[in-house]
Amino acid sequence: MKEPDPELKASADEREERPDFDALTPPEAVARGDRTRDDFFDAALELDAPTTVGDVAERAGHGVDAAREYLEWFERIGIVRRVTESPATYERNREYLIWRRVQRLRERYDTAELVDSLEAETDRDEAFSEAFDAADPNEVSIAAHASATDRSVEDVWEDVSAWKTVRDRIALLERALATAPGDTADGRSAV
Amino acid sequence: MTDRSGEGPEGESGAPVDFDRLDRIAARLATDDRFDRIEAEPEFAPGRIVGRYDSGFYPNRIRAAHLEIVWFENGDFTFHYHEDHEGRTFDHRWDRHPSDHNARDHVHPGPDAPTPGSDASHPSDWRDVLAMVLTEIETRQRGFWTE
Repeated sequence: MKEPDPELKASADEREERPDFDALTPPEAVARGDRTRDDFFDAALELDAPTTVGDVAERAGHGVDAAREYLEWFERIGIVRRVTESPATYERNREYLIWRRVQRLRERYDTAELVDSLEAETDRDEAFSEAFDAADPNEVSIAAHASATDRSVEDVWEDVSAWKTVRDRIALLERALATAPGDTADGRSAV
Repeated sequence: MTDRSGEGPEGESGAPVDFDRLDRIAARLATDDRFDRIEAEPEFAPGRIVGRYDSGFYPNRIRAAHLEIVWFENGDFTFHYHEDHEGRTFDHRWDRHPSDHNARDHVHPGPDAPTPGSDASHPSDWRDVLAMVLTEIETRQRGFWTE
């Protein structure tokens, strides 16, 4: 990245107050952390396909014994699923991650707010559907749409990604509303 | 163009924001003294996290600086670094996504992050991308304090 222009640099007076950059946690350590649990948690969330204990240890940057221990713990709390027994392989439990996001929505918002969000996201979904003349974002070919509408691939990519994100949110909000506590069967709060 | 090698059909069709990954990134940044605060999905940046740099790392002429991050489920991402100066701004972006102006991995260099940017090769692991970006920003921050 570019050096700051000379006129932006600290004045001689300011330089006496130079921040102590060397006291900061090095960027690699910020990204990787220094807690074994975090390293294994990060590694567990990456397991898109069945992975052996040894490979998980390597991804986390720790030993095989620690990997086995953490994977067994993560399996008990639902973060990962054991796929095969011998050798033992694990993959992340997507259902758990979705469940956790639904729980968070319920913790952070009341039913009226969830209903409002769902309406807003549904409106955005319809607007995208109309703009792309498609029922589903998976039907859109980014390159083909860009050349047909004379837009940049980057612009179209951004919209399609946003549309897919909207679809995900709608599914989460619907689940949060369907399971909201104290609600009547049709998912609407009586309060 | 868009049919560069290495772009699978999945990448070509886009993907939703990976909120689990953004949570992990936010958790990492929240422990770091570089940032005053981490905002999850502020009004101006839905589906993104924003880290506000501590102003102590900048001379007075730099009023504020932040890093905006979005990560998608297929591994696409944008890291956008922004500085507010008196009367102007500085923007630099590290990107991975399909475009018709660059390779999938590219940077839009400062001061004004132009399109097209420059082709680049970014690490595959999000933690390495995060470390790379934080390192480059720190190098610029240190540059404010040298003669």
